[in-house]
Amino acid sequence: MSKMQFAQICDLVETDPIHARDIDRGALVGNWINSNPDTSSIARVNVFEEDGKLQLQAFAVGQAGPGDWGTTTANVFAAGPASRVGAGFAATFNLGFAEVRLQAMIMKGLLVLAQFHLFKDDSGRESYFMREYYAKTHEHFNR
Amino acid sequence: MTHEDKLLGRWLNTNHETRGIAECTVARDAYGITVSITGVGEDGPIQWPPARATLLANVEEEAGQRTRALLATFDLGFMRAETHMRINKGVFVIVLFATFLDDSGRANYLNREFFYRQP
Repeated sequence: MSKMQFAQICDLVETDPIHARDIDRGALVGNWINSNPDTSSIARVNVFEEDGKLQLQAFAVGQAGPGDWGTTTANVFAAGPASRVGAGFAATFNLGFAEVRLQAMIMKGLLVLAQFHLFKDDSGRESYFMREYYAKTHEHFNR
Repeated sequence: MTHEDKLLGRWLNTNHETRGIAECTVARDAYGITVSITGVGEDGPIQWPPARATLLANVEEEAGQRTRALLATFDLGFMRAETHMRINKGVFVIVLFATFLDDSGRANYLNREFFYRQP
């Protein structure tokens, strides 16, 4: 067996193989609503499992009400290289004129969503970063 | 000093016992911004291959002003580290999403560490 490679010593761990499906996604799955009712970005997200994969549906604030960005597959990330507890996810929405990359992590029961809005059109708009907070709600979103 | 300039420099981990990233250097050249990371190793520091960073407007406000954030991906062969970096109240924050590309069985994971500017 070859020596385990690492770039920081916290990655030097001995563990039985952990597959993505082994990671508990319980804390991630649910309907999440933006803590800021005046947001101009993603108002709510629906995180669910389908065919063993984590799926993410986002609803953004639009001119005429919530805009459904559709559903994309999210990659699950654990709390550490030997952990089986899901601590966050990463996903990308391709909106044509823009790509929105998301990096999410659970912190104190909140979903902290880092958003990278990368414009691909010739509108001259500057790509930007923002971070918003979401609380899990029992409200059921349509999907 | 521009908001971009404020990101430049050598940043040291606030946690001297970290087992992750020891320090980070953000530099600018003719082609843009480069980020260099030094990880904590068994027998000394591990220098990661530097990565080009995408500079983004940070629409979170700090002291009533909009700042800048960086998005950078480090390709380490056996692992890909997708990171974003920003300054929050003078603290440089690195959020790292690590994906293992080898067959070591390790779980992909995320981490967040805090850095102060080298005095």
